[in-house]
Amino acid sequence: MNYELIIIGGGPGAMSAAIYAARKKIKTLLVAKILGGQMMEGYQIENYLGVPGLMGADLTKKFAEHLKKFEKNSGQGIFDLEIKEGEEVKNIKMAPDSGEFEVCSDRRIYITKSIIIATGRAERKLEVPGTKEFEGKGITYCATCDAPLFRDKIVAVIGAGDSGQDTVWQLTKYASKIYLLNRYNELRGDDKNLQEKLKKEPKVQTLSEVELIKILGDKFVTALVYRNFRSKEEKQIEVNGIFVEIGSTPASSFVKGLLRCNEKGEIIVDHNSCVTSVPGIFAAGDVTDILEKQIIISAGEGAKSALSAYNYLKNR
Amino acid sequence: MYSDIRVALKMIKIYSTPTCPYCHTLKAFLKEKGIEFNDIDVSSDSKAAEEMIEKSGQMGVPVSDIDGEIVIGFDKEKICQLLKLEC
Repeated sequence: MNYELIIIGGGPGAMSAAIYAARKKIKTLLVAKILGGQMMEGYQIENYLGVPGLMGADLTKKFAEHLKKFEKNSGQGIFDLEIKEGEEVKNIKMAPDSGEFEVCSDRRIYITKSIIIATGRAERKLEVPGTKEFEGKGITYCATCDAPLFRDKIVAVIGAGDSGQDTVWQLTKYASKIYLLNRYNELRGDDKNLQEKLKKEPKVQTLSEVELIKILGDKFVTALVYRNFRSKEEKQIEVNGIFVEIGSTPASSFVKGLLRCNEKGEIIVDHNSCVTSVPGIFAAGDVTDILEKQIIISAGEGAKSALSAYNYLKNR
Repeated sequence: MYSDIRVALKMIKIYSTPTCPYCHTLKAFLKEKGIEFNDIDVSSDSKAAEEMIEKSGQMGVPVSDIDGEIVIGFDKEKICQLLKLEC
């Protein structure tokens, strides 16, 4: 199957790129594991223009409905956009001689003249002892999914950045006691209102300057052990649930060796044009080295990358 | 013909929470395919939550029970296979 442009990813950057590409009448394929990406798990999104206070899943739905208007055979105009959801790209290769690319997913191989990578970021996983045994058995990475299952239970949130604080806030509705494990001596992050609310909430106990050492349990999680950075003292506390919010890493491993990345693994792009180190391959949004990781910025970067791809195809 | 009837008669339970995005996606997918299912909100029904944890051996949603076969998460491929759907 041959395309002019393949967009890899399903978040705001990828969806916005696909809309711009379709409107430029580029023969385009979007390949995504799931439409929405990290945005799906956002609890309440307050800073996207025009739709304040939507849940991540609802904003995703709006974006996806908009995107599908431009799908081939949508009956709403003559567009040449195909969407393949539930497919993961594993590898990109230069096709011999033609100057085109081979995009290999877990299902098929596609040929294309240009590519936009908008795969975003993947959540960072815990690595302490007990992680593997108890994933899904008390350890969870999706608070919006699983918080209601911990009604009247004791839980811990690992990581006290913006997402960790947001998770604690969601859990105050359900859990009887919430420990927030913070590596630092104060709460960091942007949402000062939320930090004030958490400080006043009697159910919440912040443990500062500590790190998680191990997770214990039998069938399910029953306790965790943490260490204080200063005193080196280790302490065990009883918990039924562990919510993990320790940041994310760029989903760029499938282009390792092909594209230039920075020390964090982010794809280095020209900030005016989203051009990567390989002509014909563009990248947009959270997977790149742009400074701010925001839905609205990714959407803008996606649009920018599609317009750059359009110019590249025109002058090719 | 017989197999079509069997699909229609399959007993499908979806254990979900109202805020879970993957639950929404799963349910929207089943509706789109015209599959009827019994949606169980485990956030408001603690007995059902225990039943789900007992059946699946874990505490994450969504969980699908398709005629006794348990699927954890929105595993589209497995769900399509069990329901004999084209995906």
